[in-house]
Amino acid sequence: MSLLAVRLPPLGTVADVPTTQGSVQQSAEPDDSEVARRFVDGDEQALAWAYERWAAQVHGMAVRAFGPGPDAEDVTQQTFISAWTGRSRYRPDQGPLPAWLVGVCRHKIADTWAKRERQRRSTEAAASEARSAPTTGPGSELATEVADRVLLLGELNRIGQPQRSIIELAFFEDLTHAQIAARTGIPLGTVKSHIRRTLERLRDRLEVDGAALRS
Amino acid sequence: MQHCDPDELALAALGEQASPECAAHLADCAECQREVASLRRSVDVLAVPALAAPSQAMAPPPQVWAAIAAATGVAVSPRPAEMEAGLLRGIPMPTPTEVETDVPGSAGSPPAGATVMPFRSRSDRRPATRWLPLAAAVLVGGLIGAGAVAVTQDGAGGAVVAQTGLDPLPEQVASGTAEVRERGGVRELQVDLDVPTLDGSYYEVWLLQADAQRMVPVGIVQQGATVLRLPDGIDLAAFPLVDVSVEPLDGDPTHSGVSVVRGELST
Ligand SMILES: [Zn+2]
Repeated sequence: MSLLAVRLPPLGTVADVPTTQGSVQQSAEPDDSEVARRFVDGDEQALAWAYERWAAQVHGMAVRAFGPGPDAEDVTQQTFISAWTGRSRYRPDQGPLPAWLVGVCRHKIADTWAKRERQRRSTEAAASEARSAPTTGPGSELATEVADRVLLLGELNRIGQPQRSIIELAFFEDLTHAQIAARTGIPLGTVKSHIRRTLERLRDRLEVDGAALRS
Repeated sequence: MQHCDPDELALAALGEQASPECAAHLADCAECQREVASLRRSVDVLAVPALAAPSQAMAPPPQVWAAIAAATGVAVSPRPAEMEAGLLRGIPMPTPTEVETDVPGSAGSPPAGATVMPFRSRSDRRPATRWLPLAAAVLVGGLIGAGAVAVTQDGAGGAVVAQTGLDPLPEQVASGTAEVRERGGVRELQVDLDVPTLDGSYYEVWLLQADAQRMVPVGIVQQGATVLRLPDGIDLAAFPLVDVSVEPLDGDPTHSGVSVVRGELST
């Protein structure tokens, strides 16, 4: 918990009205962990709170990936819909809710790439069929990459803590192993060996199920 | 022959500098090189800018919540004032880019050989190619300008340390304001823009040196308010100009040379 808490800077320091632990007043804004608890419980109000607090960051990621417009809006929308319908999969002990939402958003971005790649290939296939030409060969490099991205994001979800946070800090925050050790308080040698084992695990996953071998 | 420590090879796959002994060995050992290459595949697949931690906050347009409410059947609604506050929440590290570019001069003619500054030193990391597809990733999007929620800033995001009005460049119809706030050692740039809708291109904000010779890309902006985290350590006295450009969807991460508004930060 304390480890993943470092993944995102303190969220919720701006507009929150401080609440006293355990006795949340009706008028007061709940803190982030209270929002997370009620989100998991299926309290509709918690979905609106989560959206108020974190939709701008999720949408910022979506816009960074696809530019402003319908694709980015779809990613943001799908992130919150999936998070809500799949809320039973959220584990508070694995990290704060906004970090989980960011992870869901990554999946939606990767899914959107994969969807586009399928559309592109079916358009190409239709075009070559129309020309009575042979269809294009095995997956392009791009097709391989988008498929592997979906595969590996799924594998990341299966990695326990602290290994997952360590590799996420390396992949997504571009930190060196020394910076990761400093941020998490985990000894340098432990960080290094976790990184190696995780990269080996991801490599194995690619070797067994990677798109390059399937095509 | 003593091979590299496996942990060292994993770090090399992540783009970190190996120890001098390992680096020397790695230069000549095909076996260790193969190990690095095989471990690097997942790095190449996942460590891309589009999947990086959030670096900018942007209010989603109202239809996004409408679709969520329709799909989930919830009857509640987010409150506009709280959405504004959400825009000002802390956001993690920006992704660095490191590119050569031609720079639009303030006077119109682009001086040659100017450079886009990296956000932070990457001397101990893999070359910047890991991050260069940023603009290419943006390119993938069909950029149809969608109405954003225009928000008014309420000063809740920390102390204002610098601000400026953004004035149109010649023949541009656009205006705006920019403000740098500091909170807990983190600086954020909020840009409020009144700009024409674009089709097939998008707006990007930069910090420029006073002579527009060097510049730092800060992020994508749109009509209304956008909040972006500033690169750590950037000296606003050295990069006082806030510049908003129109960037075509050409995958080129450098400044297009077409600026719409500009202003000089005063502290
Ligand atoms: Zn060797």
